Amino acid sequence: MIKLHPTQAQLVEFAEGTLSPAMSLVVAAHCDMCQHCQEKLEVINTQLAESSLVYDVSEQELPGGYSEMLSRITSLPASHIDVPAQQHGIIELDGKTFKLPRALHRYVSKTGNWSHLVGKLWQAPVDLGDMGRANFIYMEKGGRVPEHTHKGNEITLVLDGEFSDGISHYDTGDFMIMTEDHVHAPESNASEGCLVFSIVDQPLHFTSGLARLLNPFSQLFF
Amino acid sequence: MLVGIPLEESRSNVTKPKDCADEMAAHLAAVAESRSKTSFAKVFGYFAPRLRSYALKQMGNEALAMELVQDTMSNVWQKAHLFNAEKGSPSTWIFTIARNIRFDMLRKLQNRKEDVCSDDLWPVLCEQTPDANEVSLDEQITLEQVGQLFDVLPDKQRAVIEAIYIDGKSQQEVADELCIPLGTVKSRTRLALQRLKDMLQDYD
Ligand SMILES: [Zn+2]
Repeated sequence: MIKLHPTQAQLVEFAEGTLSPAMSLVVAAHCDMCQHCQEKLEVINTQLAESSLVYDVSEQELPGGYSEMLSRITSLPASHIDVPAQQHGIIELDGKTFKLPRALHRYVSKTGNWSHLVGKLWQAPVDLGDMGRANFIYMEKGGRVPEHTHKGNEITLVLDGEFSDGISHYDTGDFMIMTEDHVHAPESNASEGCLVFSIVDQPLHFTSGLARLLNPFSQLFF
Repeated sequence: MLVGIPLEESRSNVTKPKDCADEMAAHLAAVAESRSKTSFAKVFGYFAPRLRSYALKQMGNEALAMELVQDTMSNVWQKAHLFNAEKGSPSTWIFTIARNIRFDMLRKLQNRKEDVCSDDLWPVLCEQTPDANEVSLDEQITLEQVGQLFDVLPDKQRAVIEAIYIDGKSQQEVADELCIPLGTVKSRTRLALQRLKDMLQDYD
């Protein structure tokens, strides 16, 4: 059961298109998995349409411009059905396959190889260009991460499985934002381990290689 | 032809979107079905000025605003068949198209290299919109293809395969149900799978 959703304010910004692209991506993926938020979005879209598409009586009309535009548009052919590109949206790890939510399908081809971080933790980096750093992170059954905190904001979506961190229990579909205020020690007890997608909203700057070695999790959600 | 070109002084433009939703939905249906320019002109006349007021606020410049209006209304004209009155009103649909185009225009203007586009975030103009309960398109195709292949199998093999792979029964359950030995179920399954595999290879 999904318990953790984006806030109403985040959904509104997402619907307006004003939320950051990184956050929008994770919110979109969450909404693919969450009927509850899909329904909320429908209401928000309706309200935004009403408040955005208003007739401004003071508007200087451009009859010429509009009729030209109208005839230009109606001379365009109807669009042929564009069949969406075949994106299977599946990632694999250790013989297991995971079906990703629609919003993340594009990123399958931009996902690097899985690497073993430490203990029972695996990571595959996702190239998001300037948007930030993203990772798929997989915690095997019984995996544990030492207590730690985070640098910057990390936005995380549980794609498959569940885990606990001593504060909460997180289930498939849960959406969360972790900040520097969070200190926790995640642990996966689910029979199948747990896969998450995680984006660092602001790219992190590591000051030294040593800090990176000492705290490999500072770049992770966990 | 410029039927009913808009920009009325008339009362119709102060009508609230929700008060003309049915009328606009009917016009969109006419565009989708018969490419009715008359109907499109009504939709255009009503929404273009409203889109312009949104676009001016968002883009802050007349040329970009008009580009946003034109791209939005072009999509309405070309993809009217994607409008689904059961899922929302015409104004909501048109707003979401404009919102998507605005997003892509702004990212382009900012020259961002981020690989994110509005279709990923809001699948407004995808031939199929996400539905948690819906089988995805490629899965549908596969099921359909496999379904056709099933028809080619001998009846006995097909019965076994369907029971196991569609109804999710165990081989033992199938054996009990059909009153045949377990070994027969196993060999029929193996033969059928081999045959399906061969046919799928031919498919490629
Ligand atoms: Zn939700």
